[in-house]
Amino acid sequence: MNLTEVLILVISFLILLSIGVPIAYSIGIASVLTMLVSIPTMPALTTFAQRMATSLDSFSLLAIPFFILSGQLMNKGGIAARLIDFSKVIVGRLPGGLAFVNIIACMLFGAISGSAVAAASAIGGVMNKRMEDEGYDRPFSAAVNITSATTGMIIPPSNILIVYSLASGGVSIAALFIAGYVPGLLLGLGLMIVAGVIAYRKKLRGGESVSISFAFKKLLDAIPSLLMLVIVIGGIVVGIFTATEASAIAVLYTLILAMIYKEVKIADLPQILLDTVKTTSIVMILIATSVGMSWVMSYENIPQEVSSLLIGLSDNKIVILLIINLVLLFVGIFMDMTPAVLIFTPIFLPVVIELGVDPVHFGIVMVLNLCIGLCTPPVGSVLFIGCGVANIKIHQVIKPLMPLFLMMLFILILVTYIPEISLWLPGLFDF
Amino acid sequence: MKKVVDKILSVVLIALMAFMVINVLWQVASRFIFNSPSDFTDELAGFQLIWVGLLGAAYGTGQNLHLAIDLLPDKLKGAKKKILQYFINLCILSFALSVMVVGGIRLVYLTFILEQFSSSLQIAMGYVYLVLPLSGVIIVFYCILEFFQIRNQPNEFN
Repeated sequence: MNLTEVLILVISFLILLSIGVPIAYSIGIASVLTMLVSIPTMPALTTFAQRMATSLDSFSLLAIPFFILSGQLMNKGGIAARLIDFSKVIVGRLPGGLAFVNIIACMLFGAISGSAVAAASAIGGVMNKRMEDEGYDRPFSAAVNITSATTGMIIPPSNILIVYSLASGGVSIAALFIAGYVPGLLLGLGLMIVAGVIAYRKKLRGGESVSISFAFKKLLDAIPSLLMLVIVIGGIVVGIFTATEASAIAVLYTLILAMIYKEVKIADLPQILLDTVKTTSIVMILIATSVGMSWVMSYENIPQEVSSLLIGLSDNKIVILLIINLVLLFVGIFMDMTPAVLIFTPIFLPVVIELGVDPVHFGIVMVLNLCIGLCTPPVGSVLFIGCGVANIKIHQVIKPLMPLFLMMLFILILVTYIPEISLWLPGLFDF
Repeated sequence: MKKVVDKILSVVLIALMAFMVINVLWQVASRFIFNSPSDFTDELAGFQLIWVGLLGAAYGTGQNLHLAIDLLPDKLKGAKKKILQYFINLCILSFALSVMVVGGIRLVYLTFILEQFSSSLQIAMGYVYLVLPLSGVIIVFYCILEFFQIRNQPNEFN
């Protein structure tokens, strides 16, 4: 490892990032500058261009635009309202019930749409108003909404786990998906406990009871949307289809559903496709340049050096996992999830594998860790959306966020040090 | 001018995306219904993703969609803000011009003279990589327009 190259890579990247150059371009420019030190100009430019193109040539990455598209098709319809009603029937009567409704609806919506940002805006848009009407203050509702929206990144289907599978050199997507269930549900449960305690202390009531026929109707309404999860995940788990095939089937299913409910017209399709392309290409350009940076790093032997440095510090699994978690928490504060996973997986995964950590388990730890970064300034996309739909300033939400943050950290520690939380369920299915 | 390019690009992207969906659905159908998975849809889908991803990224640059930390540009005012905006724009332009246009054209040229063909479709790989210089040129175009946009921004006096 040459110190000059490493310094150029890190310093130019941090400068570009902090002055406001888009993240994908910051990654690309820093990588190319580093390459120019040791590789002649033309081959360096050509190699980087080729890395960018070939990084996207992957059948498993195709699942990302398709899950985004099925999410878009679902968002157009009244799925948010249906999931909220469904959650309300289940938990609405408990004290602080609306906070629970918010969390469960976010978990379901996040899982179905595969997007934490979409969950925060769709569920938050409806719930903030309802919670305010029943005496919850806005910053508290927003904080609950923001943190619970991230559970959808861990509960499958999850695009970021597909990205991790790519970065790790082919850890089974099916195994990662199944491994996400228990940690994702645990995170949701943890957030509910915190929200429940706060709501209890604020003496917030539960909702009124509803008639059985009403409850039955609301449950029935939500079934078609929830069935998508069963078909997609069921098919992947049983091994009938791959994640990409499942994503295509999800598109077909949601399209048919949207047509039956008459929520999407043929004329709406071009705009939906364009919105999908926009969201997809933001992720794809990040993948293209991050894979390029990861190539530059391995060309400069950085992963090997970091590995021996970490192992030299300690050969204790607990200590190494703690260090890695701290680094990732720091990275998550100023970096988006996708590049963070693509750049840091090749560096950290070999270290933890050497210490006997299962790569599936490590993937869940990494994603859960970076979820916390989604809720922190300055690049916490979910934080921005959550505050945006609640119509409050970011500094207002920081205080109610704190106890929820602490719970997220606590769940992260549990998931990091108890591998069975992630690995028990995949084990049942022989992964 | 920008509107025309935006419009053409969005129509092309919608068509590519629709084509990609149909292609992969066909792939799934061929495996489950006809029991004979087709190789070429698999390969084609990968190439389509390269095109959608990079061309879409060019479109996204024109629409200012890419994630960035806006703290500094939002804080500065007046001339300082303009200089920073010029510099950020220059960074994007240099990357697109050097890597995507120059590096991309050389890559296309090399794969053509080395006669690299894809394994099942037998498409010259040069055609697949053509999206790099194409997207690069579009990003450069958007960046140049952005320069004028920044120059014509009214100065804030406060």
